[in-house]
Order: sequence, then C-alpha cells, then structure tokens
Amino acid sequence: MNSLLDLLKRLYNHLIFLVLLALSLSLYFKTSYYQKAKISVATRIITGTWYKQVSKVTDLFNLRRENAELLNENLELRNQIEGYKFMLRELVDTIVTQDDSLNFIEYISSNVINNSINSQHNFLILDVGENKGVKSGMGVVSNNGVVGVVASVSSHYSSVISLLNTDLQISAMHKKSGAFGSLSWDGANYRKVILNEIPLHINISKGDTIVSSGYSAIFPKDIPIGKVVDFHSKDGSFLAITVELFADFKTISKVYVIRSRVKEEIDSLQQNVD
Amino acid sequence: MYNNVIKHTGFAFFLLLFQLLVLNNINFFGYANPYIYILVILLLPYSTPRWAMLLIGFLLGLVVDYFSNTLGLHATATLVLSYLRPIILSQWRFKSVQDVRGTPNISNTSLEWFSLYITISVLIHHLILFFIETFTLNHLGLTLLRVIISSGLSVVTILIIELWRLRKKE
Repeated sequence: MNSLLDLLKRLYNHLIFLVLLALSLSLYFKTSYYQKAKISVATRIITGTWYKQVSKVTDLFNLRRENAELLNENLELRNQIEGYKFMLRELVDTIVTQDDSLNFIEYISSNVINNSINSQHNFLILDVGENKGVKSGMGVVSNNGVVGVVASVSSHYSSVISLLNTDLQISAMHKKSGAFGSLSWDGANYRKVILNEIPLHINISKGDTIVSSGYSAIFPKDIPIGKVVDFHSKDGSFLAITVELFADFKTISKVYVIRSRVKEEIDSLQQNVD
Repeated sequence: MYNNVIKHTGFAFFLLLFQLLVLNNINFFGYANPYIYILVILLLPYSTPRWAMLLIGFLLGLVVDYFSNTLGLHATATLVLSYLRPIILSQWRFKSVQDVRGTPNISNTSLEWFSLYITISVLIHHLILFFIETFTLNHLGLTLLRVIISSGLSVVTILIIELWRLRKKE
C-alpha cells in the first residue's frame, strides 16, 4: 500500500498530465460541430462588441481591396448579364421564328359566294372581310393552287381578282429549274394561263409543274399553279409557256386568304422607299 | 512573491488579449499564424510545481480554444508544452542560473540561450498544434511549412516582446 502511494506520489504529475491530455484530446475530437457552434455563439456574446469595433477599423483598411473586388465582381456580373442577354435574344429569336413559321402564312378560310369565269376581268366574292382581317392585296388559294388576289374589302365581304383576269400578273416559277416569270391570263381558255419571260435556255418539258415564286410575297413560295402543256419562243429570247391550271375555277367554292407577315413587312419597306 | 504573481498574471492577460484580438487575425501568407501566448508558460518561475504548470497550461489553452472555436486543440498543445518544459529546462538549463525562484528571461540568462529555449519550445508547441489540427500526414510538407513559418513568426514576435520588456526594465 505504501509502495503504491509512493508510486502515485512519484507519478502524480504524469498522471495529471495524462488525464488532462485525455481530456483535451477528447474535447478536440469529440466536440461536435454543434457544440463548437454554440461555443462560438457564447464567444460572440462576450467579444462581439470588441470584434465589431475592430472590424470597423479593419474594414477601413480593407476598403480599397474590397472596392477592387466589388468592381471585379461587377464586371463579371455585367459580362454574365450580357451573356444571358445574348442567350435570351437567341431564345426569343427561336420563339419568334417558330411563331413566325407558324404564322408566316395564316390562312383565313372562306367560301366563294360569287364567281365568274366568262369575263376578261373575272372576280370572285368571298364571305370574309375586315371582320376576319382580310385586306386588299392578300393572296387567295384553293386546295388546288393559286386563285387570285384580294382587290377590295368590305366589313364582311371581299372581292378577289381572279387569276382569270387579264389585269392580274403574278410571279410564277418553273419548279424544276427555278426560273421565274410573270403569269397572266390571256383571256382565252379558263383552264389555261400563260407564263411569260422564262429565258430560252431553260429546259422546259411538258408536264413540268409551275408554282408560285414567292418573290411577290403575295403568295408564299411553292404554291402549285399548274402544269406545262405547251411552250414556244416569243420575241426571240423568251419562252411563252402555256400552263394548265390545277384549280378548276368553274367549280371553285372553298378558298383560303393568305395573310402573310412577310408581305406586310415588305410592303412597309417599299412604302418607305417610295 | 505575490507582487510577482500579480505581475505575471497581468502580463498573461496582456499576452492573451494580444494573441486573441490581434495575432489570431493576422494569418500571414494565408496559412501561418504566430502564437505568442505560450510565453505565459515559458516565463513561469523555475520553482513552479509541475501540477500547477500543467493546470495553467491546460487552462491557458482552453481559453485560447474558447475564443478560436477549436476546443481542445490549443489545450493539448499547451498541456504537452507545460509537461515538457521542465525536461527542456533540465536539458538546456542555463549554467549560471542560481535563483530557482526567478523566471527564465534574457536578463538572467543570455540572448542566445533564451532564443534557443524559446525556439525549441515554440517548435514543440507548433508541431503538436498544427499536426493535431490537420490530423493527417497527407499534406506533410505543407503542414511542416506552416509549422516552420509560424514558429519563425512566433519566435521573432516573442523575442521582440522580451527585448522590449528588458529595455523597459532598464
């Protein structure tokens, strides 16, 4: 017993050391972050005021650096904004284009309530007018192709210059070659119209399809008109092509008015030029 | 004697405040910090009982931990240092020191001896401190670099404080 006490006496400093070491190490490794956070809260209560004053001073010293950092951050954010703007613009463009392609041609369906084929200046009367957004200059097509162009509009009706009107000329294209000329009715056969101004060198054969060229913007591109039935050279440098219409104007009853955004834009452009 | 205790306690408080409010916020080169509060342990009288030294070291470390959110870290380092201090002193005891009631300082030893004493103690303390803090040997080089830079800073700061105290005394 005495020897044990002696041992303790000799070693008690080391024992104290070991106990305290175990305590401090366990404190360090066992203390949870939660407890440490709580301690830091207590610390803040004690030293908070002091740290606030200190930070007031140190903040002053850091002002220049912080300013520079803020400027950099500003620059970065600005660049990001520009990037996002660009992305947004692209997105909007995509949406608008899609929107455009959807609304590029807006069809207004209508019934033909009056039609003539036996005059030189034939007209159709449609049962749509300003109430449906029809305006003069709009193209009119049927399921079988080009019908004519709106000439005048009332509130509920509109009159359409038929393709079978010698006054009307529309731009048409030989689909295979892409050569285009002006299409008009010669006033003879209501089934046939004449495509002029196709250059001689274009390879034309009977049965080729003639479509709208899209250049006039009244009709979108590639609306079928008719097929080549005959052609001969005219004035030595151009072909006069006889085109048999797909649409039978005699029986035509259901047509669509084409509302083209492109036409509206081009028209306003031309007005500016004029 | 009691006058000395009060003086030492006051100096300890000054060191602690200086450590906690100034030096802890320095962070040289991003990963080095001088720790001069251990001077409280290093300047205890030769005659301080060992158990008292251990307790003082432990409590000192706890106070620093409390304000640094590292509960147990500094306590461990200071505890080990105060445990090893008598061994260090017995190994490198300055030959001419006769008064065991006195404290190790520049005036009753030499600048060389005191610098050595401080350097060894600081290195021991910082090694324990940084290695327990990282608790991995993965970044051995970086940890050693931190130990060396911090030790250098600590030793220089401690020597400046001691030289300043010496001049004030004279």
